[in-house]
Amino acid sequence: MSSLEFRNLTVTFGRGEKTVVAVDAVSLVVPDRTVVGLVGESGSGKSTLARAAVGLVDARSGDILVDGQPATTGRRRRGGLQMVFQDPYSSLDPRMSIGASIAEALPSDVRRAERRGAVAELLEQVGLDPLLAPRMPSGLSGGQRQRIALARALAAEPAVLIADEITSALDVSVQGQVLNLLREVQRGLAMSVLFISHNLATVCYLSDIVAVMERGRIVEIGPTEQIVADPQHPYTRELLESAPRLGEKIDPEQLAVPD
Amino acid sequence: MSTTDIAEKMVDRAAARAGTGRGGLLRRLATSPLGMAALLVDLLLLLLVVFGPMIWGAAAEEFDVDNMNSPPTDGHLFGTDSLGRDILLRVLVATRLSIGLALGATAIGAVIGLLLGAIPAVAGPRVGRAVVAVVNVAVAFPGLLLALFFASIFGASPSGAMLALGVAFAPGFARLTQTLTAGVVGRDYVSAARVIGVGRLRIIGRHLLPNVADTLVVNISLSAGGALLAFAGLSFLGLGVQAPSYDWGRMLFDGLDGIYVNPAAALAPGLAIVLAGLALNLTGEVGAQLVGRRVGSARLPAKPATGAATSVADGPDGSPGADDLVLDLRGLTVSFPRGRGEKSVPVRGVDLRIARGEAVGILGESGSGKSLTAMSVARLVPDPARVDVQSLTFEGRDLSANTSRELRRMLGTTMSVVFQDLMSSFNPVMKVGRQLAEVATEHQGIGRRAALDRAIGRLRSVSISRAEQRALQYPHELSGGMRQRAMIAMGLMGSPTLLIADEPTTALDATVQRRVLQLIAGVRAAEQSALLLISHDVAVVAAMCDRILVMYAGRVVEDIPVDDLLAGPRHPYSRALLAAVPTIQTDRSQSLRTIEGRPPQPADYPIGCAFAERCAFASEKCQQDPVLEPIDNGSVACWHPQQGPVPGVVIDSPAVVSRQRATTATAGPVMPSHEPSRTRERGR
Ligand SMILES: Nc1ncnc2c1ncn2[C@@H]1O[C@H](COP(=O)(O)OP(=O)(O)OP(=O)(O)O)[C@@H](O)[C@H]1O
Ligand code: SF4
Ligand SMILES: [Mg+2]
Repeated sequence: MSSLEFRNLTVTFGRGEKTVVAVDAVSLVVPDRTVVGLVGESGSGKSTLARAAVGLVDARSGDILVDGQPATTGRRRRGGLQMVFQDPYSSLDPRMSIGASIAEALPSDVRRAERRGAVAELLEQVGLDPLLAPRMPSGLSGGQRQRIALARALAAEPAVLIADEITSALDVSVQGQVLNLLREVQRGLAMSVLFISHNLATVCYLSDIVAVMERGRIVEIGPTEQIVADPQHPYTRELLESAPRLGEKIDPEQLAVPD
Repeated sequence: MSTTDIAEKMVDRAAARAGTGRGGLLRRLATSPLGMAALLVDLLLLLLVVFGPMIWGAAAEEFDVDNMNSPPTDGHLFGTDSLGRDILLRVLVATRLSIGLALGATAIGAVIGLLLGAIPAVAGPRVGRAVVAVVNVAVAFPGLLLALFFASIFGASPSGAMLALGVAFAPGFARLTQTLTAGVVGRDYVSAARVIGVGRLRIIGRHLLPNVADTLVVNISLSAGGALLAFAGLSFLGLGVQAPSYDWGRMLFDGLDGIYVNPAAALAPGLAIVLAGLALNLTGEVGAQLVGRRVGSARLPAKPATGAATSVADGPDGSPGADDLVLDLRGLTVSFPRGRGEKSVPVRGVDLRIARGEAVGILGESGSGKSLTAMSVARLVPDPARVDVQSLTFEGRDLSANTSRELRRMLGTTMSVVFQDLMSSFNPVMKVGRQLAEVATEHQGIGRRAALDRAIGRLRSVSISRAEQRALQYPHELSGGMRQRAMIAMGLMGSPTLLIADEPTTALDATVQRRVLQLIAGVRAAEQSALLLISHDVAVVAAMCDRILVMYAGRVVEDIPVDDLLAGPRHPYSRALLAAVPTIQTDRSQSLRTIEGRPPQPADYPIGCAFAERCAFASEKCQQDPVLEPIDNGSVACWHPQQGPVPGVVIDSPAVVSRQRATTATAGPVMPSHEPSRTRERGR
């Protein structure tokens, strides 16, 4: 069993009059072995929700639970939360070899002698050549870097993986490779995944359940097919309508200026 | 946004991407003549430090009672001191103590400074704030004053003075470290390390310091020169080295007593201080220059063309003549030196013609040369790239020869660029609205008020809510996504005849992407601008453009009207790109179609078709270079052009669909069964 649950989570930035409520009393469950896709406009609080889950920002109130227990991260305890970040060019330390970056995330009880083998296995798992381990990340493509970032997250043996926009900095053809890989790994390890993206098409492709976020709140959630076929919330409908379709032309006359 | 600003940011980013390995600084030091000289003097000093006292230590202590306070003689090149000891030997021997103490003081300062400086980056906010406050107060004191203060506390001894100087230097280092690490700490790899559970000290040691080391080392060696002078000062004041030990400062002090009898006794140690100080400073300076060069400013514009300029003739049949062209670029090559006379050529012979008001899209994977092509047009390619063209005409003017300031002004008003990636920094201390407005006031002479109004309008149309208030905020007060949109708005402030947009909507969500595209289309309609739109997303390019160039490995492989592209392009790579875009209709039970493998790197472009390795239709013939040949309404560079609709791709345009039906009826299916999913199976 591995599930992630946000209970009434609120995250704010700043104080007094300037307070921004980035995440507003969000409750969301990522059930066992399920991919939940979180889609929403930029600034809607998707990343903040993810960063709160792994402890990079503090929640103002509410709970984050893994299997009903307060969430943990880190390599000291298996079965916590791990995250893969958006920008593959900034998520790997340029001064650290690929192998060292991955090894750093291995649970602390993995013996020194076993570490090299563990790293090689992880590289294999994400479809990379284990011989890459001693190399520095410079010169690797975005897709390769993202695979390494995924390997690093998997190294900590998390119960739930959070993927925040992991394909948006990649080329279309490489995007497909990374998405295919994430799906393979998720199925192979029977992991639960919170998949965050602004791209509705990739979210729908990968997720069993889709949650739509707008201005810090989850405005709609449901099985992917249902969200696509029968959206209830106006924002979800707008998202679906705006999704790029091949062959359609952009009409400047329609530029609706919001307030 | 002016093209100059962008160029600078671009170079910063290129530098950040390039990253240098360990030891790179030393190697680069050795390659500059000034650096060479500094290294030589450093080496000399090092030899003196190590061997000086061993060789001359005893001789420097010998009393020559016949020659006390003697002026320079043959036996004593700089004379002797009050006990008849040879000044020159003593100066040489004193190198060890002088340099050693200076380096010791620097090291103490550096260590304390590094620790203090790195704490705010990893400690909780409260501790961090306290440390920053303390450092700020300490930095405000003059260093020498601090040193004197501590020296009198720690007592008049070499170690006391070393400690005092070290402590006095610490705040400066702390401030520098704070600034540098603050830049690194926001990077995702530090966040990732935290999520993994890496401890604070380890984060400092393994992730923060190594990434700021170059700059720190340079500053430390600069300070070592300062420490040397400061230490000499302390010894001179009697607060440092005490007899019978001696360093240069102490000798200077002693020498001054007999200045009228033997001026050389003061001159020699003085000279030593100045020379050694200079050498240390020079090492630091040269290092700083080299580090600085990596992140320094771009030189604009890129090298003008050297190729034979051809006359601007009318295009081939059917294409517009020179007068109707906004841009006519022929034979563009961009290359980067790779050392040892080699070079890599990421753009190899691209022709690009854009008619007045036409919208042209460039499609291709990253590394295919799309952005370099666009940057070459805007003359924004950073050093050390070399741009060669056969001809480059913009608005009827020959840009290939012209490099004047007048040209830059002309480009500033007639060409707008929206380079999402490159503009990733606003001026942090200027309000967003003013920065946008400045574009219009500077380049178009619009009044301040009107410019601000336009800025607010543009902000609103990129979906920034409460635009009036946002305009009055500073860049860091907006979310990342908002900042990005504000930058797009800034790129759209002008009224250009050619608008160049490089991935303007990547990473924007669908609703905002749509609005940004509508805004671009709107600016284009209002100003009658031509558009050069670059994207790796077929849907975006197809929605905005009349004609599309598909680039692969530095060449245009297909040039095709949009509707033909949608109906089914001819080049296998174009077809694969079309198939790779997931849409909401994509079948969830299937793996996504991908193009297996990677595009070749510019350094090892193969002979023949560069796509051959990934192409399902490759044959023997493909080992020869295919050239761009006219076909239908466009042209294609492929030995085995395909036709008909691409299977599995849903086109949302009745006109295109009916055309597809017509062609399939005559041509039949042409995709081989192995072309789709080529995903490898992986275990576990
Ligand atoms: N450090 C901060 N200080 C003040 N406000 C912040 C800070 N970080 C985020 N915010 C605000 O929180 C809100 C949500 O931001 P967040 O970056 O989490 O959204 P997002 O959906 O991930 O957006 P994007 O797609 O742009 O990354 C925004 O209104 C933003 O302005
Ligand atoms: S030339 Fe040959 S290898 Fe290249 S795209 Fe055409 S068929 Fe494929
Ligand atoms: Mg985000």
